[in-house]
Amino acid sequence: MECTSHKENKAVVIKVTGRLDAVTAPEFDNACSTWIDQGETCLVIDLTGVEYISSAGLRCFLVLHKRLKAVSGTLDLSGLQGMVKEVFNISGFATLFPVHPTLEKAVEATE
Amino acid sequence: MPRFRKTRKRGLAFRLSLLILISTTLIFLAAFGYNHYHSRKLVLKNVQEVAMNRARSVVLQIETRLRSVEGLPRMVSQYLEKNLVKEDLLLSLVHDMVASSPEIFGASAAFEPYAFDPARRFYAPYYYHAKDKGVAFVQLGSRSYNYFLWDWYMIPRELDRPVWSEPYFDEGGGGILMTTYSHPFYEISGGRKTFRGVVTADISLDALVAEIGNISLYKTGYAFLLSRSGAFLAHPDKERIMRESIFSMAAESELPELQTIGREMVQGQSGFAAVNSVDTGNRSLLAYAPVPAVGWSVGVMIPEHELFADIRSLNRMVLVIGTAGFVLLLLVVVAVARSITQPLLSLVRTTAEIAKGNLEVELPVVHSDDEVQVLTRSVDEMRLALKEYIANITETSRARERIESELKIARAIQMNFLPKHFPPFHEQPAFDLFAALESAREVGGDLYDFFMFDDRHLFFSVGDVSDKGVPAALFMAVTKTLMKGIVEQGMTPSDVLERVNFELCQNNEAAMFVTVACGILDISTGKLIYSNAGHNPPILLRSKGGPEMLPMPPGRVLGVLEDDTFINRTIQLGPGDRLLFYTDGVTEAMDNELNLFSEDRLLMEIAAMTRTEPRQMVEQLMAAVHSHAAGADQSDDITLLALHYKGTPTLVENTK
Repeated sequence: MECTSHKENKAVVIKVTGRLDAVTAPEFDNACSTWIDQGETCLVIDLTGVEYISSAGLRCFLVLHKRLKAVSGTLDLSGLQGMVKEVFNISGFATLFPVHPTLEKAVEATE
Repeated sequence: MPRFRKTRKRGLAFRLSLLILISTTLIFLAAFGYNHYHSRKLVLKNVQEVAMNRARSVVLQIETRLRSVEGLPRMVSQYLEKNLVKEDLLLSLVHDMVASSPEIFGASAAFEPYAFDPARRFYAPYYYHAKDKGVAFVQLGSRSYNYFLWDWYMIPRELDRPVWSEPYFDEGGGGILMTTYSHPFYEISGGRKTFRGVVTADISLDALVAEIGNISLYKTGYAFLLSRSGAFLAHPDKERIMRESIFSMAAESELPELQTIGREMVQGQSGFAAVNSVDTGNRSLLAYAPVPAVGWSVGVMIPEHELFADIRSLNRMVLVIGTAGFVLLLLVVVAVARSITQPLLSLVRTTAEIAKGNLEVELPVVHSDDEVQVLTRSVDEMRLALKEYIANITETSRARERIESELKIARAIQMNFLPKHFPPFHEQPAFDLFAALESAREVGGDLYDFFMFDDRHLFFSVGDVSDKGVPAALFMAVTKTLMKGIVEQGMTPSDVLERVNFELCQNNEAAMFVTVACGILDISTGKLIYSNAGHNPPILLRSKGGPEMLPMPPGRVLGVLEDDTFINRTIQLGPGDRLLFYTDGVTEAMDNELNLFSEDRLLMEIAAMTRTEPRQMVEQLMAAVHSHAAGADQSDDITLLALHYKGTPTLVENTK
């Protein structure tokens, strides 16, 4: 898994590629937590490059949800597709966050 | 091979000693050989010098003696040429020559026929040292002794110069070896020289011969003198004198080399040669030099074995010293090698002890400040490190064993927690049910459950907690306990899920969640109400037809939002219909290349089944998943629950 992030206006864009499983989840968790610890409350996570997500990966999103809810923050998702989209749909996580078809739309939505 | 091994197995001390001694021996032998070769050469050179010097000194001795004799005849000749002398004066001149010189045995002035006295054909007054009688006189020349034909007279006359005769035994003088110097004199008138006669002086060679014959060099080396013709004039063996020549000897002994040397000597050359001694046959060194005045040649002969006798004794001494040194070196090397290997051997014994596991063993004390001490110190450090390491490992493995045993107990508890008596309800012919759960680790986060909460209603559920291991196991236990406690008459599956979700959301700091699919089956009618919290859709296998996915109502996983609601769906099951619930550990089971088992494969496996009793279905699917994984590590817990609805007799009747 690879995780790159940058600030775009007031949103923090985090791009994830590869597998998001029990092995890589802590790294992803760290990448997101670093921003929240810095006071960022508006996260956009792009999952276009993610090919696999396990329950441990999903748990990261629940953790993010809880942390952002505590600081009245928002988390927008983009680029869900294939197996990832299916997992988000079945587990009901797709209705937990606003989901956008593309990263641009997601960033736009935060403004 | 065994021999090779044996050599290899010899100790360091042996190899060190062998190496040093072989090298030393080689060096010694090389030095010895070089020394021997060069000292031989040196001795040979010295001996050649000594022999040649000796030969030259003999030559000088002879020349001196001969030259001293030549003076008087020359003077008398010159006087006779310049003056016309009367008989009285002539006689006194000749007499005085003999009387004044002890060297001269006899002297004479021999004239041509009628040259001194026209009346006398022979005129040759001769004075000589007679035995005990002083100087005696005799007039030479007679019919029987026609001196004109004798060498001493004829040769100087023909050659026109003074000549030493070949040595001869004097017949009158008692067998003395003599040689005669003859000096010619002439009458000079009107620029013309006319031969008038010779003045002679005889000398005895006995003393010279004795002197030369007595020369000895080394043990048996000797000198000899050859005449112009090669006859022996002087030789330690007196029998040879004047009786044998070098050429006769060469012919007799068949030594052509001796002949060659004899020729060179007679020709007046000097040099060295190696010859075999005629007498002993020993190889000898011969140095020779000419006596130019008389055309003789002096030879000095030294047997080779005597030349090198000194070297041989020196060599013997060197060998004795060398052998003694070798033995001494052997002792020293063995002692040194021992002193090196002894501490090593004792160290080896100690390390063997350490290898056996005795880490308390004391290392040998090494006083020398060398590599052995360094080695001993590092072995001791290794021993201490090993001790510490083993202590650590023991501690760690003890802790691990404790955790493992705890996990084993936890697993037993978790497994006992799930219903596992099949068939579960003997008195219920309306349905059959079988379930299995395999954890990826000792304890897992999957769950299944079923129970009849009244005579007609079967509640069953399958769930999957996010993540694995102990936290998941605890969350699973909480979920299952909550569910069992909540279910009661009159409740629908969605009611159960909502209440369980609410409870789970309280203080869910760990952000765990669980997917659950559950249903309530009215066994008398076959009506199944089911609900879903983010779980995979089950597979429905109607009594007639192929397997199909049973669409599930949407629903979020439990543990996320406490006020989440869930939806019920209803389906009518007929006798012979089957339902298979499972967790994603089945469809997401991976092989070594990370290929998923997949839902398609699951449907295919079910479609291909000939026996569809719940136990067989579950066991066959479990086997298919394992064969797909092909030894790859199980990444997630696997749970399968199969339900076979048979229907009640009345219902079966009604359907017919």
